[in-house]
Amino acid sequence: MSGRPRETANVGAGLWKATGMWAWLLFRISGLILVFYLGAHIIVISTGRFDRLNELMKAFDNPVLVLMDLALVVAVLYHALNGVRIILMDFGIGVKRHKVMFWTAVAVVIVCFAVFAWVAFTFIVTGEGVTS
Amino acid sequence: MRAEAITAHGGGMWSWLLQRITAVLLIVMLAIHLILTHILNIGELTYDNIAARLAHAGFTVVDLILLAAGIFHALNGLRMVLMDYWFTSRTRALALSIVLWVVGIAAMAYGTWALWPWIT
Repeated sequence: MSGRPRETANVGAGLWKATGMWAWLLFRISGLILVFYLGAHIIVISTGRFDRLNELMKAFDNPVLVLMDLALVVAVLYHALNGVRIILMDFGIGVKRHKVMFWTAVAVVIVCFAVFAWVAFTFIVTGEGVTS
Repeated sequence: MRAEAITAHGGGMWSWLLQRITAVLLIVMLAIHLILTHILNIGELTYDNIAARLAHAGFTVVDLILLAAGIFHALNGLRMVLMDYWFTSRTRALALSIVLWVVGIAAMAYGTWALWPWIT
């Protein structure tokens, strides 16, 4: 970081207060959820190799697992969008506007959550996917 | 820790760089993966349907990239988290890295084994 070190240092300190702290904490929590999901995903898909996959897939129609899918959508989207925010800040883009970027990410997550929640609850209630 | 927030996190340059590269790869590959599995390939998630889908080489390539990038990104992220709590010394961090590499290679082998019928 060349140029104005003092200004950069101040902005950096701001990244860890309030909004920045929540962005970091949620990023960490969603990241940990995704690590466990990836592990479970690899184990399920790999054990489901060949004909056992059909019976395994039926288990995923369980409402509890559908709701967990919903949580997964939120975790993936938030982690991806905040990840983009972090990469942009690594390039020095939007460091001063990091709060705006955070709330934009949150807004996108909420909108997508609403859409996916509708799909999930339709599936839970009717037993059929909206799109199929 | 706070003062280093923007430029460094103590995980090493390659860890930092690869975490960014795999992040971008994951966003692109995950989008492809989700669009193919949930939008373009609507239907029962049965063995036959999935096998037919995997018969296209492109799918296997996407899945393998996802597998490798996902495992690296997940375990390196986990390493960064754990290094904030207990694995703070150089020795503990090294031990953690070795364990995570073993876990990662095993997971990669297991995932590749599942895709093997379509690779060969």
